[in-house]
Amino acid sequence: MAHRSYLNGAYRSQPSSRISRTLLRGLSGWAFLLLTLSGQAQTLTISGEVAKPLTLQAADLKAMTHSTLTARDRDGKDHQYTGVPLVDLLKQAGVTLGGELRGENLTKYVLVKAADGYEVLFALPEIDPEFATRTIILADAVDGAPLPQGVGPYRLVVPGEKKPARWIREIKSIEVRFAR
Amino acid sequence: MRAWMGLFIGFVAIGGISAWRGLEEPLPTGPYPLAYPAAFGGRFTIPADNPTTQEGVYLGRLLFYERRLSANQAIACASCHQQARAFTDGQRLSRGVSGKPTRRNAMSLTNLLWVRRLFWDGRSNSLEAQALVPLYHADEMGLRPGQGAEALQQVAPYPTLFKQVFGSDTITDARIGQAIAQFERTLISADSPYDRYLAGQYQLTASEARGLQLFSRAPSRDGIVRGGNCAHCHGGPKLYQELFHNNGLDQQAGDGGRQQVTGQALDAGRFRVPTLRNIALTAPYMHDGRLATLTDVLDHYSDHVQASPTLASELVSAQAGGLRLTSSEKKDLLAFLHLLTDTSFVRNPRFADPHNQLRPHLK
Repeated sequence: MAHRSYLNGAYRSQPSSRISRTLLRGLSGWAFLLLTLSGQAQTLTISGEVAKPLTLQAADLKAMTHSTLTARDRDGKDHQYTGVPLVDLLKQAGVTLGGELRGENLTKYVLVKAADGYEVLFALPEIDPEFATRTIILADAVDGAPLPQGVGPYRLVVPGEKKPARWIREIKSIEVRFAR
Repeated sequence: MRAWMGLFIGFVAIGGISAWRGLEEPLPTGPYPLAYPAAFGGRFTIPADNPTTQEGVYLGRLLFYERRLSANQAIACASCHQQARAFTDGQRLSRGVSGKPTRRNAMSLTNLLWVRRLFWDGRSNSLEAQALVPLYHADEMGLRPGQGAEALQQVAPYPTLFKQVFGSDTITDARIGQAIAQFERTLISADSPYDRYLAGQYQLTASEARGLQLFSRAPSRDGIVRGGNCAHCHGGPKLYQELFHNNGLDQQAGDGGRQQVTGQALDAGRFRVPTLRNIALTAPYMHDGRLATLTDVLDHYSDHVQASPTLASELVSAQAGGLRLTSSEKKDLLAFLHLLTDTSFVRNPRFADPHNQLRPHLK
């Protein structure tokens, strides 16, 4: 599994390492335990203006390439977050990114929804690496452990923002829509 | 805001007089303008097949107060949603046709235009669908599907009014729900002293100002900055965020709340964050009405929040002994909460029982 690392939002490539693979395997064990404890698996859906709507199970997300970045949470401390770049998830669903992110596609937005009803919004260029200088990830682990209850199983980490208000927790769905 | 208030009051005055005084005057028809402060925002959807019209709102209002919509002809929507109490009933749990208490406390019907997931557990996505739930519930109005429609088909002025509103005098449950939903969309409350304060038209007393600060501000970790952080969930001009949280009433919730809708363990003991609008009028409090007074509510958040795996993260520090409001802080918060009472809403004649003032030509 390829492993990339972001430091304070700055991206640097790193070859796949045995350490990170071991770490990730350890994490998946934890994630399994957590799911067993909670009784149900929380799925993640990606829908709306997509070529291929997705309903991702925990195992699907676990199998995707993970990246790690350091960012400062509300507690004022730096933490290591590991997760799937949001752009990779959207590409898998066939969202108009990269060369297709032009013209009317620039009026599309992404609405991320949490289990408790919280919702936050991003414009597609905030997510596309051809526009953005930072990488937003769908984190499933912090400092080497699965996200705790009330935060996980998935949380967005948006590096470089002064307020973590868009670090939405307990994500259950991602919708891509056209502004009307 | 000032212009808006003028429009709203003017509208109420003209509407109120022309609707109920003019004996030979026809029922007003046409679009029903929904007026609200710009700060409330336009994030709502009215179904394309149920636009809000004057005739539809009037019909919905008749139905809201209609006791024939119950198995024993004694219970209307308005029995448990009384205008003087901001459309609540003052009971811990309500009693309908069976006399058995309902499972949860009757919710205030205020600013429902903006609510996206209705009921304490958010299980209904539209006012049209929501309105029929109490109609069919054995412990609320106790009707069989179709029974209410059948009863009203025989009663003037309903067939005439349904024809006017829906283009057909055939009464159906779905149309009953649509008309009630139209009336409910008009129940807009935006004229409390707090609204006037936001519009620069009301001066807070010293205690109210301290209360507002405690309401709005999060306490610092070291306890030096005092705050209740109430606004985190109950903030904004509408005085709620559309969220479902476990507010620490129990270590083990007897009523799963939102979990019963989603089936997700992380939703255990979560209920909707209710609006604080008219909160002084809507006792008792919480989804099961367990807290009798606002003082009890402040005591809960200050001193009695129970730990559990799904406790809202905002309340974890309160549970760990972080909040502990003093008695003078609680007094100030109470003073602030009383600013949220909108007396023009609870006295608005357009929301009152129309059956005593039925338009003569419809009788």
